[in-house]
Amino acid sequence: MILDLERFQTQARPRWSSLESLLAALEGRPDHRLNPVEAEQLQELYAQAAADLNRVTHGALAPELRQYLERLVARAYAELHFVPPTRSELWQPRRWLRIFTVFPETFRRQSRYFALAVLITVLGCALGGLAVRYDPASVDVLLPANYLRNPGQRVHEEEQGKNQDLHSTQSEAAFSAQLIRHNIEVAMLAAALGVTFGIGTALLLFENGVLLGAVAVRYTQQGFGLFMTAWLLPHGVFEIPSILIAGQAGFYLARVLLRRREDRDVRQSMREWLVLIAGTAMMLVWAGMMEAFFSQHHEPVLPYGFKVAVGGAELALLTVYLLLIGRRKTDAEAHARVLSENK
Amino acid sequence: MTDSQPIRWATTAELTIATPEGVLFRLPLAGPASRLYAMLLDIAIVLGTVNGVGLLVYRIFAKAPGYGVMVITLAEFAIGFAYGALLEGFWNGQTIGKRLFHLRVIDQSGLPLRIEQAWVRNLMRVFDALPFAYLVGGLSALSNPLMQRFGDRMAGTLVVRQTPLVAPGEESWTRQKYNSFMDYPTIAMKLRRAATPELASLVQDALRRRNELASYARREIYRELATYLQCEISPFPDELVEMLSDEQYLINTAGVLFGDQRLSRVHR
Repeated sequence: MILDLERFQTQARPRWSSLESLLAALEGRPDHRLNPVEAEQLQELYAQAAADLNRVTHGALAPELRQYLERLVARAYAELHFVPPTRSELWQPRRWLRIFTVFPETFRRQSRYFALAVLITVLGCALGGLAVRYDPASVDVLLPANYLRNPGQRVHEEEQGKNQDLHSTQSEAAFSAQLIRHNIEVAMLAAALGVTFGIGTALLLFENGVLLGAVAVRYTQQGFGLFMTAWLLPHGVFEIPSILIAGQAGFYLARVLLRRREDRDVRQSMREWLVLIAGTAMMLVWAGMMEAFFSQHHEPVLPYGFKVAVGGAELALLTVYLLLIGRRKTDAEAHARVLSENK
Repeated sequence: MTDSQPIRWATTAELTIATPEGVLFRLPLAGPASRLYAMLLDIAIVLGTVNGVGLLVYRIFAKAPGYGVMVITLAEFAIGFAYGALLEGFWNGQTIGKRLFHLRVIDQSGLPLRIEQAWVRNLMRVFDALPFAYLVGGLSALSNPLMQRFGDRMAGTLVVRQTPLVAPGEESWTRQKYNSFMDYPTIAMKLRRAATPELASLVQDALRRRNELASYARREIYRELATYLQCEISPFPDELVEMLSDEQYLINTAGVLFGDQRLSRVHR
């Protein structure tokens, strides 16, 4: 019980102000690192301030003083218990480059959610394709844009070079930036919609699938299958998998949400989600550039066979990247872990 | 820290944290309005920066405006997300808007937030901003005792108010040499026992804001407070009260509640 609040404050004020100045110095550092002397000092001042807070809470009518001490103790508590990332973790470029190996590793670790995303997209494709094949009336609903509905006209215009004025390198650059931005936004939405327990993600993937299936069947039906393959493949081999991976991240997020209570380390789980999004964004940058600078050129400028071959080569590289990069290292680590556990 | 997680529980406006060392403290949570203002300011800053950079870029790419558009489109997009994530991650949980409105993002266990948490809560904005004007995020924050939007829930973060506080200084009522209430130690003790912290801070505030109040308002407030104290809490003898102005009554009350050297001596 504090009987003389004023005396108590006069005595304690110097230690509160030294705690305040120590905290201000620590909070100014981006990595919040303490040296041993500071750590000892902080520990001592924190303990004293906490004891003062307890006395004020239980023994005196001093709401303001209590509030002040609470803030002070909260700040000191945060600095004392926070395990800061090491400086090397933050500023080593090599660590940032590790994203290129961590991404395929994470992709493989969470591959079942990728399978789910593929399944839903394939279902959408099948529905879209079947609708266009057996119900011509649905074309107007499913394919609102004219160039999707009437492939003949589009192919004719493209091959005549009527849209050639749109194909200056500069407009292609602007176009690629818009594509990259739009695609990354859609991908991020797919990943964030996981918070609706995956329902939003599933709907988005399904809609995407329906459109894809409808376009594919419409173009093939009218005999422009090769044009379409050459048009979509060079960027599609990156764009479609990246949206699927974004869907994978969405389903993974739904899983994290459902398992929140059992999950011992939500922070680590969310890191995997971030890695998947970062990988998706990298893929979409490539896809956007290919779509603007390469896919929009048609015969006679670029032979369709060549475009399909480029698309095929990209797909092969992407598959190798996603399935093999980083694997040997993780295998070696797992092996080492088993060995050390057996010792 | 893994096996001794702090216990926390929240009331509508604050988060209470009980640390493993047995210390209990409260953190005031930020309301939706101040967060909205801070966000609008941040948006203005981002737009200003992007447009400023845009003018520069257009000048550099004057002969090739297509590349200018490309740079701007991507820069706007990247700055929009990176602004919040990087500033919150590396600048003590604050963006410029949050700092000006005295807000701070922290981990929900009371610790500073980490860079990956800052990224998660900022990337989740694409969902919280749906369908327009942050409706989803706003409703989420209002329906949650910790005032978290979905991004905060996934990242395990929350936004607290962090108005700078200074240690309370010496007050005028502690300087008075003689307090007539101390002549009645029993009634004074009753006053101390019965006064709640809220009532005590009300008296304190009323006295401290003496010069900010218009004279009629001051008279009215002091009269009401003194009457309430006299009738409901601690009836001091009429012959004493009649000699005191309402203001002096409150000063004496504050002296009993906060100063109390003499009371303790009498009591002893």
